[in-house]
Amino acid sequence: MIIDLRTARIGAVLIALLASPATGQAPQARPDTLTHDEIKRIVRHLDDLYRSTSSYSVVEMQIVTPNWSRTLTMDAWTHGLDRMFIRITGPKKEEGVATLRIGSEMWNYLPRTDKIIKVPPSMMMSSWMGSDFTNDDLVKEFTLIDDYTFSEDADSSDASVVRIRCVPKPGTPIVWGSVVIAVRRTGDIPVWERYYDEHGRLMRVLTYGDVREFGGRRLPSTLTMAPENKEGHRTVIRYLQLEFDAGVKDEVFSLRNLRSGR
Amino acid sequence: MLLRIAIRNVFRMKRRSILTMLTMFGGFTLAAFSIGWIDGSYSHVIDAFTRNRLGHIQVHRKGYLDKPSIYKTIDRYDAVGKTISGVRGVAAWAPRTYAAGLASVGDRTATVEIVGIDPVLEDKTTRFDGKVAAGHPLPPQAAHETILGKTLSELLSVGVGDSVVVVSQAADGSIANDRYIVAGIASSGDPETDRVAMYLHIRDAQDLFVLPGKAHEIAVVVHNIGDVDRVAASIRSALGDPDLAVATWEEFARSFYRAMRADREGAWIMLFVVALVVAVGVLNTVLMTVLERRREYGLMRALGTRPARLFGMVLLEVLVLAVVSIALGCGTAYIINHALSIHGVPLPGDSLSYGGVQFDRMYTEVNSRSFYIPALCVLATALLVSMLPALRAAHSAPARTMKIH
Amino acid sequence: MWLYMKLAWRNVLRNKRRTLIAGIAVGIGLASLIFVDALVLGMNDNLVRSATSSFMGEGQIARAGFRRSLDIDLTINGFPAVLDSVRTEPVVRYAAPRILAMATMTSPSDVEAVSLVGIDPSAEPPLSLVDEAIVQGAYLGTGDGDANGVLIGKKLAGLLSIELGDRVVLTAARAGTGELVQDLFRVSGLFETGTDEMDKGMVFIPLSTAGEMLGLTGRAHEIAIRFVDSDMGADAGLPFWKKYNRDGNEAVGWTELMPELAQAIRMSRWSTAIIGVVLFGVVALGIVNTLFMSLYERMFEFGVLRAVGTRPFAVGRLIVLEAGALAAISIVLGAALGLAVTGIFVYRGIDYSGIEYAGVVFRDLLYPRLEPYQFVVFPLCVFLFTVLVGLYPAWYAARIGPAQAMRKSM
Repeated sequence: MIIDLRTARIGAVLIALLASPATGQAPQARPDTLTHDEIKRIVRHLDDLYRSTSSYSVVEMQIVTPNWSRTLTMDAWTHGLDRMFIRITGPKKEEGVATLRIGSEMWNYLPRTDKIIKVPPSMMMSSWMGSDFTNDDLVKEFTLIDDYTFSEDADSSDASVVRIRCVPKPGTPIVWGSVVIAVRRTGDIPVWERYYDEHGRLMRVLTYGDVREFGGRRLPSTLTMAPENKEGHRTVIRYLQLEFDAGVKDEVFSLRNLRSGR
Repeated sequence: MLLRIAIRNVFRMKRRSILTMLTMFGGFTLAAFSIGWIDGSYSHVIDAFTRNRLGHIQVHRKGYLDKPSIYKTIDRYDAVGKTISGVRGVAAWAPRTYAAGLASVGDRTATVEIVGIDPVLEDKTTRFDGKVAAGHPLPPQAAHETILGKTLSELLSVGVGDSVVVVSQAADGSIANDRYIVAGIASSGDPETDRVAMYLHIRDAQDLFVLPGKAHEIAVVVHNIGDVDRVAASIRSALGDPDLAVATWEEFARSFYRAMRADREGAWIMLFVVALVVAVGVLNTVLMTVLERRREYGLMRALGTRPARLFGMVLLEVLVLAVVSIALGCGTAYIINHALSIHGVPLPGDSLSYGGVQFDRMYTEVNSRSFYIPALCVLATALLVSMLPALRAAHSAPARTMKIH
Repeated sequence: MWLYMKLAWRNVLRNKRRTLIAGIAVGIGLASLIFVDALVLGMNDNLVRSATSSFMGEGQIARAGFRRSLDIDLTINGFPAVLDSVRTEPVVRYAAPRILAMATMTSPSDVEAVSLVGIDPSAEPPLSLVDEAIVQGAYLGTGDGDANGVLIGKKLAGLLSIELGDRVVLTAARAGTGELVQDLFRVSGLFETGTDEMDKGMVFIPLSTAGEMLGLTGRAHEIAIRFVDSDMGADAGLPFWKKYNRDGNEAVGWTELMPELAQAIRMSRWSTAIIGVVLFGVVALGIVNTLFMSLYERMFEFGVLRAVGTRPFAVGRLIVLEAGALAAISIVLGAALGLAVTGIFVYRGIDYSGIEYAGVVFRDLLYPRLEPYQFVVFPLCVFLFTVLVGLYPAWYAARIGPAQAMRKSM
């Protein structure tokens, strides 16, 4: 359907997915080069940072393009690996618009026409609600631990920050040549992620900020994604509220619930 | 004086003159008809095809044709259209908006191209109402109605009176979403269009996509397709806006243009052959004439006619014949081409349907080159061909040529 | 009779120059008829070929309803047996199976919607132009190492900001379940066909890879066919269609796949037919002209014959025979000339369309087509017409009195 995009890692951040329980606080960081086990530990921590068995969040998403700029607010519920429900709460024009995903199927509800539209597979890759995310981002994602190999990136201008270079495993359908993640040693808080193509060109930057505490975890509440090759495009996600293991009821993930926002 | 002799000679040898003129006249007329036919039939096809949907001329924001985008708009299209309608040669204009989206009926969904049209202007320009096969055309005022392409309506299993929901993204980034009642089903003749086209009143489309006063395209139809380049240039200067691009059908209907051009060039090769055969006919005639009369020329030389005069006489005879033939040919060809340009030549079998347009007849055209090209051909050939024999006649030794029988 | 024929021939050959001129004049007429007919056939061939050879094929077999809805689940019933059977058909020259799906191609900077086409690299080249339009890299290979190669248009590569060798991800919905699948591919070749539809919208991967990715192993959506004779695709009566139009499949020729093209050809044929009639008219005129000229010149001679006592009928017959002799000479000259001139272009082709797009790898050459009927029917027509035309002067000479004939000069 419409415009810009891309990919999985951000989707994973927005939608809590994996079943593995949240790990606790990270152990102390060490000032010297990390062992492979330590890197793996940090990576696992990053994968699980925003995930839990079920979750509820209130999110504000700001999309900036050269032609227009908007801010959406939404409530989001997730359960297990594959169920997700999002309802938009603002601005007025989009209020009540909802998206339900169960497995690889997805439905959108539009209150203005009171219509539930099943999203056809061909539309899955197009952007979700006009954002820089695609519907597909909400459907699958990759985990660092399973789909990449990692090493430490030695360039450390800042001693408090560790850089990990992640390279997609051969054959994995990921377009990036490599992803470099900067993590603050204290608390293993991600600082930024840089995405490079195979030729080593920087394609986009994800910047984390505003570390807060949600449900016992300390994590960045603001994520900003900016493509390098597109002038004037930017998406900013702000977690206003985030609860892990929120005990979300099954009825939430139903077609009926799509309509009940009215 | 020489002219009088020439004319008298021509009349003297009636049969020979008639035969020569027959070749010239017949050749001229047939060649003139051929040119009128080629030009006319192609003009007709091009006109009918482009007028059907695309228009003869299109105006867009610069860059739109290369890479279409909902953001590249003609702002305040009303004013632009008004300027265009004031340009001489313009017959009609119509604005359009284009955007992709999803149409949903029940649990069926299809990707569509949503086209916003002004029903009144569109009908004037492309006779759109004639394409609505079922139901009725869009009313002049926006009424939240839509017309679907035939195949699209079948894919969605939807008929006149049903409602269709549309989802897309508006130009301000918000979700474009609304419901429309199917007013009619349209058959454009182009299978791709019928599969994805969903027509809305342009005001409805502007509301849906947040495009106040804007359009993506203005299609223009001219009175005479031969004028299209001139009118396009006039529009360009009348608008005087470097951000607006004015393109003729040759630019935006590229593949059609190529096919037409290729075909037409093939026809011109054929015409060249026709001209060649005409030329050979004239050559043959004149040559034989001149050769047969060598005795006569010898006699004239013997009587003291100077070579130059003899040369001139020979050429003049040919010229007289040519001019008379051409004159007659002009008259006849004009009558034929004019009549056929109005009544046309019927196609055998069923009518032909191309690009959604029905063709029952083909028309010729009356134009200047259907006259001057054959005229030049006949005249040039006749004169060139008679040069050598005329020279030989002029310099013939009297005794020798008179000995020939 | 035999005497008269000998006499006719001797007369004709007596004045070599006059006969030669007349013979060449009529001969050129015949040659032009041959050339133009061959040209028209070549034009039609070109039109059909350029439309069908770029990708469509001259005929296609697909499941009924597939072409309309492009529903990925509608594969050919009875595949691959159907393909094997098609290949054994004597009328079929080439057949290639394909899988078609709507997909999106993702690069590090962009995403584009594309038509994914799974092709068999060993069977596909005769059916599409892509293999001849490769500008960088190579056509798809059949080896294991080539399983993840993808061929894309140069224009598409531009839209996605990628180059040869870069990685891309193709996403599509699997048959049956509809779940999304993604696979990694490497751009192994770039092509430029000159049509945006292919250059921007189509990507080619090996059939087996497409089958695995989409859950369609051992299945296909369409079989594209090229017949031994390019006229067969338009022949609605070909038994081939009936044979494969069953078990839920449909077999159609290009005239149904591209009805607009069929109509365009009809229109073109009609247009050129008119010109053909004109040409014949001009040639006929030339024949009348030539014959009359050469015969009327000799009215004196015929007058002498009559004065000497030859009966009117005999003189008339002589003239007709001479017309016949001249016609015979003309058609030999004409056929030879027609063959020679057309032959040159059959060999070299006519490049009349020019190259519109810079960098198009192939050229649109027009090759006139010579057919036996051009050398049998046309000469026969010319011969008969010439003899027919000779009837008027023959009648004239027979009717007119000897003194008048000898007195009359042109």
